[in-house]
This record gives sequence, structure tokens and C-alpha cells, in this order.
Amino acid sequence: MKKYITYTVIVLTALMALSCDGDRSSGEITLEWWQFWTDPAIKPTIEKIAADFESANPGIKVNITDLTWANGREKIVLAFSSGTAPDIVELGSDWVPQFSSADQLAAIGKSVGADTSQYFGWSPGIYENEIYAFPWILGTRVLYINRSLLIQAGYDQNFVPFNWEQLTECCYKIDSIGKDIHGFGSNAAEKHRLYKKFLPFFWSSGAKILSDDGSFSTIASDKAYEALKFYKELSDSVGLIDTQRRLEDAFLDGSVGVIISGDWLLKRICNGGHDIDFITTIIPGPKYPGRSFVGGEYLAVSKQSQHKAEALKFIRYLTNRENQLLFCKENFSANPSHKKAAADSFFTGDVNLQVFYKQLNLSRMPKIDEHWPEIEEIIEITLEDVLFNDAPMAEALYQAKLDIEKLYSAK
Amino acid sequence: MVRAIKYILLVFILLVMVFPLFWMFRVSLLPAVGSLSFDQFLSSIYTFEIYYDIFTTGKMTVYLLNSALVGITVTGGNILFCFMVGYALSRYRFIGKNFWFYSVVFVLMIPVHIIIIPLYLLIHKLGLYDTYGALILPFLVNPIGVFLIKQYIDTLPNSMEEAARIDGAGELKILFQIVMPLCKPALAVLAIQVFLTNWNSFLFPFILTGSESMRTLPVGLALYQGHQAIDWPHLMAGSTLAVIPVLLIFLLFQRQIVSGITSGAIKQ
Amino acid sequence: MTARRIIGLLFASPWIITFIIFWFFPLLYSLYLGFTDYRLMQPSYNWVGLNNFSALLSDQSFLQSLKNTLIFVVGTIPVTTATALILALLVEKNFPGRTLFRSGFFMPSITSMVVIALVFTNLYSRGGYIYLLAKILGLSPPENGLLLSDSTALYSIMAMDIWMSVGYYMLLFLAGLKSIPKELYEAAEVAGAGTWRKFRSITLPLLKPVALFIVVINTIKSFQVFVEIFVMTKGKYGTSTAVFFIYNTGLEYFEFGYASAAAYILFVIIALISLVQFRLFRQRSLW
Repeated sequence: MKKYITYTVIVLTALMALSCDGDRSSGEITLEWWQFWTDPAIKPTIEKIAADFESANPGIKVNITDLTWANGREKIVLAFSSGTAPDIVELGSDWVPQFSSADQLAAIGKSVGADTSQYFGWSPGIYENEIYAFPWILGTRVLYINRSLLIQAGYDQNFVPFNWEQLTECCYKIDSIGKDIHGFGSNAAEKHRLYKKFLPFFWSSGAKILSDDGSFSTIASDKAYEALKFYKELSDSVGLIDTQRRLEDAFLDGSVGVIISGDWLLKRICNGGHDIDFITTIIPGPKYPGRSFVGGEYLAVSKQSQHKAEALKFIRYLTNRENQLLFCKENFSANPSHKKAAADSFFTGDVNLQVFYKQLNLSRMPKIDEHWPEIEEIIEITLEDVLFNDAPMAEALYQAKLDIEKLYSAK
Repeated sequence: MVRAIKYILLVFILLVMVFPLFWMFRVSLLPAVGSLSFDQFLSSIYTFEIYYDIFTTGKMTVYLLNSALVGITVTGGNILFCFMVGYALSRYRFIGKNFWFYSVVFVLMIPVHIIIIPLYLLIHKLGLYDTYGALILPFLVNPIGVFLIKQYIDTLPNSMEEAARIDGAGELKILFQIVMPLCKPALAVLAIQVFLTNWNSFLFPFILTGSESMRTLPVGLALYQGHQAIDWPHLMAGSTLAVIPVLLIFLLFQRQIVSGITSGAIKQ
Repeated sequence: MTARRIIGLLFASPWIITFIIFWFFPLLYSLYLGFTDYRLMQPSYNWVGLNNFSALLSDQSFLQSLKNTLIFVVGTIPVTTATALILALLVEKNFPGRTLFRSGFFMPSITSMVVIALVFTNLYSRGGYIYLLAKILGLSPPENGLLLSDSTALYSIMAMDIWMSVGYYMLLFLAGLKSIPKELYEAAEVAGAGTWRKFRSITLPLLKPVALFIVVINTIKSFQVFVEIFVMTKGKYGTSTAVFFIYNTGLEYFEFGYASAAAYILFVIIALISLVQFRLFRQRSLW
């Protein structure tokens, strides 16, 4: 028994001792940075950029904490809620307004100043005319087509569909090749994914979620109805309905001809192991090439940070032209936020990457405010009802309009 | 004949139980690139490159050692403490005994997401964030374990304790030399359960630590689930490796359950 | 005897200390938040009394999540408990290969829920092995896969849960079986009792404490089913459970006061059911 007690006491003392080494030397600033790039293929680049920053700025240290995609947001929210937020945090574009509207992020508009014109994608970072988050790595979605199937369906190898009519026709033709081959990859009810695949068609047709002054919802409009009808017909007749990850698998093994996806699929194909002849193109609109969805990773300084200036300095360093290029080349990211980086020949000279560049210029960021997550959910529920439960479209869209307007009238 | 049927039944159940795990193992032997498809699954491509990769790139060894250290300490603590507490709740009367018993059950009944914010704050205030302390101290006494031991001791007759007490044995001696051996099967179950829970615990280690040097295995494995794609071969290989220590612990302790003790002797 | 009381308190102190330091404040704090309109990251919030609770009781998505949870609990626990007992009886006696079967049955419990859920997501999807098996057996599974249909998603997750937990409960039953004195069986044999009679009159009654533990623990755990839902369906296709609702409301949409209130409603339900279980098991008539 005594042995047990002694053992326990020793262990506990050791733990206490271990836990008390938190005292960091004074005179040196440590920036806490929470980020999501943990893949062994890209983490060294992240570490390298941070180390370069440290050696260029003696007296500043950057301490990186890795977050997982599945639960990282939870940890960020916990930290902000309990007053222990890191100095710098990476946020998804659709999360930013939840933090900026809650007054948790430092305003960086004054310091960034005129440089805003050098970057794409400010809108998610802006709340009530002030900038709270810096765009870093953006990502838009484009159309991927399996060229072998296209040729099998009787098309010329240079054919690229640019409007809805052509897209429909080519999906139908591919679908009729065989029983196990589907025309179009259509997303199942998957949180945070389904609506991103519909909004490109919605925007391309000219529909909008909110009126320009934001006072009412325009989601129930003839144009929105057209887009929904188009998407539903495609999905019902030639769609393979599955989750995004599995749609990509199906695309790679040739069982679906056309899908909407982002640059990560390009990365997967380039990493090898897939024997696929494919093309990418801008998402078709009703008559001409249309708009797409764009999201991305943003960097923000927490309001609680003691070292806001240094934190912003680090953000500026991460997002400068050279470091964005370095990062994007290592990570196959197609859409850096820095305009000069985006226009680099690395992107414009590549047959697929330039599609992403063009699509980004045609893309739209939803007008994101603190209600965005709820709007997102309303759109998803509407889509689920219409696509999978055959709810009448006009009524469903009208209900979505009422639900969205309720969000704004509540305040 | 009955015996043959029994074996057929057992083998059938065994197949059902292990097939998904075999699937996990099979995927871990696929090459790193490529998508998951049936052709590959059934193909003759076998490679251990992922296992090699796991140990050469990244810090999987650190995560394994952290998990082992935390797992063993927490399991040891639980065997000792849950036993003591369970015994106290079963055999003694003391102030607030009912309250303490219900508090055990109470903690189990509240979804962890609701208490994680104040707990996170608390860990920070105690200076335990990102230390072994955060991974060990809150978990040294596990409510399920206390409940298990209490239930088990409730079923044991207390004649031997009474006899020992009459002979003048001290309470500690009774606890550790008389009751503890009787509880071996329950303590073995406890050890397996605690080690297992701790070994696979993700949320607390993820929330309560931050640096790579404090990372445990489940957190390390979670990093293989990317935003847009899952690195199946790495995730499955890591998970297969993670099974081995628990299996060893199981084999070690299940013998305590098998051999048990001739508890019949002390029951009238 | 005050000395004995103090000793009892001392023996219980590891829990008392852990509870006071680590769990008491978080529990109390979350209960308090249930009576406020606290939103995450908002510094100011108001006491709203019972508003959250009354709103929840007419919140369709909360009630639906409770209903799904109930289906989950009622559907899994009897099957898990019965299967675990059968498995324990099958591998209790010594026979060649016993350790192999025991380890094999226990193995699903070893792997982390997240990984198991990912593996099953694959097995259940269109073209996955379980999906194909269902097809071969003529069960005509939904076209898009078992997890992408309201009619099968929840049941598929329940089946996985049973598969995963029977091994652990089998182990508990084995420990319980061990504590039954052999003399009782010998005496019964002398009295001429058959296998069934011995099982009914000796094994079952003496397994009661273990069975109570299993049922209570499993009830508490099943009412809080979350990880599998979070990984496999994110609450879509009729799989939103109570804790998923709480997570979604509290940590996705930041309505933390509301979510806390929901957690305490769930707590009351679990506590009441556990109480009933305790009562039921105390009566001899159960078996």
C-alpha cells in the first residue's frame, strides 16, 4: 500500500512540476498562431515561412498550434469564449462574420489601408465597414469533365460545354453510355457542401439571396426558380447522388462524367495513381459561362491579443506575394488572394489552374454577415426538400424567403 | 454434433465481428496515392510503405509514447482510486454519501460539449493547459469505474471483512488484502475499460493541449482527415497500429477474468 | 462510529476532490447558462428564467431529435444486452480457441469510434460491402446507399453501435459470471436441475447487479449518442439525436444558453429512466 501511495505522490509531483514550466522568457514576444495545414506534405512549408519570419524579426517567435478540420472550429470558439484566444487564427470565410460581429477580432482596416486593392476576396472579412480578417488562400469551384467519357459519348475532344443547354446535353449523352456510368455528380444532403454546389447555378442565372440594401430576401424569384428547376432535372435524370468525397472517387474511377469540385481534386490527380483524362472549365450559366462559389482561408488577429501590431506583421508576411506563391505551389492551391501572385505564370500558364483563375474572377462571395450560417442552413433544407423529398419548388423557395427575412426582423 | 454447431456459430460471429477491422487493415496495405475502390481492395497490391512512412515522417512515435504514458498513468490511478471510492460507497456510511454517489452518475449524464467551455477555462486557470496534467488529473477517477466497482462490491458478502475486523485487521489491510483480491475480475474489466477509453480519447486531448510534443495518438490520427479528403491508407494504418497495445492489455487482463478466483468459497 | 465515517470519507476522497476541482464548477455553470440567453463569445447576457425550457418543449427539431434518440436507445439496448449475454455464455466455459473468440468479439470495442464510423460510412455507401451484401440478400437497399436515406440511416448507425459495443458488455457479463459460486450449480445438479433451470434460477438472478450496471451505463451512453452521428451523417437523413442537436445549437450556431437548457432536459430524462431501471432491477419479479 505504501508503495502505491509513494508512487502516486511521485507521479503527481512530477506532473505538477512539468505543468509549471509555462514561464516564458521576457523581452521576447511569442505569437500564438492556430492553423489548419497539418498535412505532412505542406506543414514543413508552414514551418519554414514561420521560421523565416522569426529570423527576419528578431525578438518575435511564432508558436504554431495545429487544428483538425473536423473539430478545429470548436476549439477556436472555446478559446475565444473563455478569453484565451491565440494572437492569430486561421478562419474559414464562412466563420469570419460570427467572430467579427461578436467583436472578437481586431480591426485591421487602418493598417492595411491602400493595400486592399492588391488582394482578392475582402468581403467576408468586412463587417460594418471595417476589416477584421485578411484573405489568404481562396478556393473556387469549377466544372470537371471526364474527357474519355465525353469522347465516348460522341463529342469532339475539344468540346467544352459553356451553357446550361450544352451541359445538360453532354450529361445526358454520357449517362446513356452505360448502366454504371452517370452523367452528373449531384450532392447528397451533406452539411456545408450541398448548397455550395447549387449556388453557382443560382448566381449564374442572376438570382440573389438578399436585396442590395439587405432589407429583404430575393431568394424567391423567377431566376432562382429557373436555377433550381435546372439543377433538379439534372440531378433527377442523370445524377449520381452521393457525398462530395465519394463523388470525387466516382469521378476518378470513371463512373460519373461531370462534377463540380475545387482545386483539391486537381491535387489528388496530380499526386498520381489515377489514370484519368479530364478537362476543367468554368461553370456554365444559362447562356454563357457563369459564376461560381468562392470560399477560403482567412487570417485574423484576436481582439484579446497583446501583440496586435506584430501579429498583423506576421499576417502580412504570410500573405505576401512570395510566400503565397511558395505555399500554393507546394499545396496545389489554385487561388492565392494576392492578385500579383494569382496572375503568376505558374497559374496562368497551366491549362487547369488558369480555369481556376478565370473562375475566381467570375466568382461571387455571398454577402456574409452574422446570419450567414443560418441562411446556409435554410438554403440547404430547401434544397433537401426539393431534391430528395420532391417538395414543390415555388413554395419551398418562398418559404426560404420568409425564413431568411425572419432572421433579420428578429433583431 | 452440438459442439460442431457451436463452433460454426462462433466462427460465423467471429467473421462478422472482425470483417470491418480486416477491411481497415487491408486498406492500410494500399499504396498512399489513389482512391479507394474495390479493384484495389481485391487486388494483389500489398505494401508496407505506409507503416514505414508513419514512423519516418511526422512524429507518430512521440504521439504513441504520450498516449502510452497517459494511458498507463490514468489506468493505474483508476485501479487504485475507483477501487477505494467504490468500496467506500458500497461499505461505509459517511457525510453526503448519497450525494457523492449521485455526483458520480450525474457527471455521466451531462453531454460533454456543455461542460467543455468551463472545463477548458479551468484548465487554463490552473496552469495545466498543454501539459500532461491536463491529460491525466481530471481523469484519474472515472465515474463509470467507481460505479462498476461499487456495483461489484455490493454483490460480495462482507463476512470475510467482518471476520478480519474482529481479528483486529486495520481498514487499509482489509481493503487491499481482503477485498481487492476478491474484486480482481471487476478490476480487470475496469483496467481494460479505462485504458481503452483513454487510449481512444480525442476531444479532451485535442481541446486541452496544443503543441505537437503533448499530442496523443487519436489527435495525431485525426490530422489525416483533411478538409476535402481522407488519407485512408495512413488513417487505417495508424488505427491498426493503435489497436495493438489495447489488444495486449486485453489479453493481459482478461486472464484475470478467466482465472478469476474461487469466490464461491467465501460466499455462504 | 465516527472513525469509520472518517475512513469512509477518506477512501472516497479521490473522487470528492476530483469532482470538486474539475467537474463541480463546469456542471453548475452550464446549469446556470441554461437559464440565460448566453451566446458564445458575447460578453453580455440576460437571465431569462424558464424561457429556454419552454421554447425547447415546442421546438420541433429538438423534439424530433429526442424521438430519434429514443428510437436509438430502445432499438439498441435490448439487442446489445441480450447478444452480449449470449456471447458471454458461449465463451465462458473452457474450450480450445476460447481466447481467440473472446479477443475477436472484443476487438470492435478497441478501435476508436471515429475510425469505426469512417470505416462503416464506406461499408454502408453504394458499392460498399455491407450495401452489396444487403443487395445480394434481396433486401433492396436504397439506391444512394444506406446512410443517404431517411428509411435506413438511423437503423444502420444503430446496427453499427450494437456491433461495436457487444464485446465490451460481453466482458462485463464474463466478470459477472465469474462471481457466481460454483457450489450453487453443484447443489442444483444434485437436486436434479437441468441446464435451463440452472440458468433461470441461478445465473440470471445472480447476474442482476452486472446487468443493472450494463443497462444503466448503456442507457446513459446511448442517450448521448453523438460521435457516430457527427462523423457519418451530420444529423441529416433523420439521424439528428439529442446531443447532436445540443452540439449543433451550441457550438455551430452559438446559442449556448439554449443548448445548455436542452442538455439539462436530456439530463432529467436520463436520470428518470435510470431511476426506473434501478427500481425495476431491485424487484425480484423481473426474472
